[in-house]
Amino acid sequence: MALDFGVFVSLFVDTLDYWWIIIPATLLGILVGAIPGFSAANTIIILLPLTLSMEPATGMIFMVALYTASRLGAGIPAILVNIPGTAGAAATPLDGYPMAVAGRGQQALAISFTASVAAGLITTVAALILIPWLSQVAFHLHSVEMIVVMLFGISLIATISAGDTIKGLIAGFFGLMIGYIGADVVYEAPRGTFGFLELYDKVPLIPALVGLFAISEAFVVIERNTILSEQGAVKQQHAGWGPTFEGIRDTLVHWKEVVWTSLLGLVIGVIPGAGAAIASFVAYQQSRILSKTPELYGTGHVPGLIAPESANNGVTSGTLIPLLIIGVPGGATAAIMAVVLEYHGVAFGPDLFDSQPMIAYGSFTAMLITYILLGLMILPLTRYFSHVMVVPTVYMAPILIAFTLVGSFVPRAYVFDMGVAIVFGVIGYIARRTGYHVAAILIGVILGPLLENYFLRALRISQGDLTVLFSSAIGNTLWVLLLLSLLAPGLKRYLGRLKSAKTNATK
Amino acid sequence: MNNQNRRLFLKLTAAGLAAAGMPALSYGAGFPERTIKVFIPTRAGGGADRNFRNFGGVWKDYLGVELEPSFYPGAAGRVGYETYMGKAEDDCHDLIFGNMGPEVLNWVVKKPNFSLDDYFYFLMVDADPGCVFISEKSSMKTLDDVVAEGKKRTLTVATSRLAHPASLGMLVLANKTGMKVNLIPLSGGKNTRNGVLTGEVDLGVLPVTTAMGRKGIKVLGLFDERNLVPEDAPGAVLINTEYKLGIPPLAAGARAFGIKTAAAEKYPDRFDKLRETGMKVFTDPAYKEAVTKGKGSWALIAPGGIAECRKYVDNITALGQEYRGLLTG
Repeated sequence: MALDFGVFVSLFVDTLDYWWIIIPATLLGILVGAIPGFSAANTIIILLPLTLSMEPATGMIFMVALYTASRLGAGIPAILVNIPGTAGAAATPLDGYPMAVAGRGQQALAISFTASVAAGLITTVAALILIPWLSQVAFHLHSVEMIVVMLFGISLIATISAGDTIKGLIAGFFGLMIGYIGADVVYEAPRGTFGFLELYDKVPLIPALVGLFAISEAFVVIERNTILSEQGAVKQQHAGWGPTFEGIRDTLVHWKEVVWTSLLGLVIGVIPGAGAAIASFVAYQQSRILSKTPELYGTGHVPGLIAPESANNGVTSGTLIPLLIIGVPGGATAAIMAVVLEYHGVAFGPDLFDSQPMIAYGSFTAMLITYILLGLMILPLTRYFSHVMVVPTVYMAPILIAFTLVGSFVPRAYVFDMGVAIVFGVIGYIARRTGYHVAAILIGVILGPLLENYFLRALRISQGDLTVLFSSAIGNTLWVLLLLSLLAPGLKRYLGRLKSAKTNATK
Repeated sequence: MNNQNRRLFLKLTAAGLAAAGMPALSYGAGFPERTIKVFIPTRAGGGADRNFRNFGGVWKDYLGVELEPSFYPGAAGRVGYETYMGKAEDDCHDLIFGNMGPEVLNWVVKKPNFSLDDYFYFLMVDADPGCVFISEKSSMKTLDDVVAEGKKRTLTVATSRLAHPASLGMLVLANKTGMKVNLIPLSGGKNTRNGVLTGEVDLGVLPVTTAMGRKGIKVLGLFDERNLVPEDAPGAVLINTEYKLGIPPLAAGARAFGIKTAAAEKYPDRFDKLRETGMKVFTDPAYKEAVTKGKGSWALIAPGGIAECRKYVDNITALGQEYRGLLTG
């Protein structure tokens, strides 16, 4: 399974022959990524008749290119209009949108695209090299370990609400409570559904997401003339190509941030059931903790945008590894890919890399080509995309609401979900107006059900014995790291005070 | 033309048209008038979706219209059924395609909001026996090893859902042999396989097509009286006979089309057309080709009508009632 460089080059060249399918898939991917509700998984399901009729290698390359491009596309509305189109982009607006409001939307887009492309290229190459080891990760991370990984993400609630901890925690717990609505994972017994059948399968994520972020934002911006601040509007008017280059430069300056957060995304992507949302929240939280300027996060800070975008693109290649090696899809989109490959009778496993290299290695080379193509195609567009920001809010707000309502409807085709989006929009508006952080609510909604799932599974396996949570070496290591990451900010402050006290004493 | 002649002409014309149209009308002439909408109570991309596509892709040629699937996953199929019963028209254009076993067991655990007499299954597509499987890395190599180990300690057994025919099979086996098992519901076939493959649980139970022929997985036994898939599940023990379970063959996957009782009663001709054209699909070579191409097993395709579906539902319901206490909270 170890890849020879010569073979890699030859496969890369062979994959270029599929340009006719990669280019349309990339364009479609950007589009569906940018429209809330149209995720890659949904689109691939809709296009199943098409992909099933293709040769397996062609179908796989098409799906991989679409998936890759959609991940990058999801960052566009998240930055410009505060709509994370998918859960994977939910941490992107935390710093991306404040940049856009300040008239730095073009720069933010350039940062997002450069970080995404760089992270995608780094992790795809890393995945190719590390396949034999990464494919084993799933064997070592079970429910117990995943509980701690989830808690890493959930602890972001405390981090982002540093300004007002009580309000942050209230918002986070409110989100967690909403996340537990629906049938439980063990007995399928409905809880808190208020008799709505549509809530049996949990609160639908996309309507909750767009409601909390986008609709509430539309309600807020309608009170102003434009999304941009006054200074931002001036800045935007005089923007040329400069901000694009500035964004590229900013990302390159923070190359270490790109590398480690993308590799974090790669590892999380390998774990079945985890995914881009967890990766981006964990990366953001860790980036803030390790930063020398944590107070700048949430105000339009460059590393705060790089971290989630690098991590969620790192997930892309990670999710394919367990699928191809052990037949275990790393995420929802990979699961749909599995259906297509199984339909064609493709047998997963290390042998696949010898028997059908165009499917196995080809998936990764297609990903590389897509990222290169994305870099060339999308960076020049940053200047034009950012003009969305100057549209007066009297037009922008209704368009936003219309788009988000359609996006809410798409995943399940329930009119009910449009109502859910509006309800969450109102909740989000009230939260914003009263100083509660909508992102804290959202983290609870996204990660709460996952945490509950792993927690109940671990307890069921241990027959109710809580000590199971500390029963594995990897789990215990993760617990220690979690504890350290939670204590780190306080410890840093304490050491800082100690140092300044010492300095004062010596003076 | 005077009034009398005109009346006679109109009467004769009407009678002639009626006579000409009668044979066809009696067989649902003009039906279907639109696309047949099929409610599927699971997610797109799963086993039911695949089976539906194989079957529906051929059935449409006999019906002359497309069959359009709509997916309503959630709460182990409950959402799909409640939606179907609430929204489907009583005109035979709306059907449901589900996996009878787990979905009927749902009603054993908790009754739905509609009466169980308001719908019935009429076209069974397959009978996919439940199986016991392990990871090839497991220290247990045979079903006897599993039973022996289960007598020493409680084994964790991954299953798609608690209320599932495969879970029932394992409970009956444990009951007969005295082994201790702890069922772990992992929500769906893929997750169940993953749980076993990654070593989080000791073994798993699933419909055999979801487990067999997968890398790293070994099927140890079938809850059946014969092995219809000897190539994909070589050496699998026939649990029902080997361990004298005293239960009928336990198809863990028994996909079937269902219809609202009111629709079948209101339009018997249309319903007959659905039944008769549906049965023709099984003898169409295109269907066999679609099943085998999709890595399915033709041996497990089990054509069945209302009686076969009824018998299956009754068997599963009776067994579910017996073990109800272990399937609920």
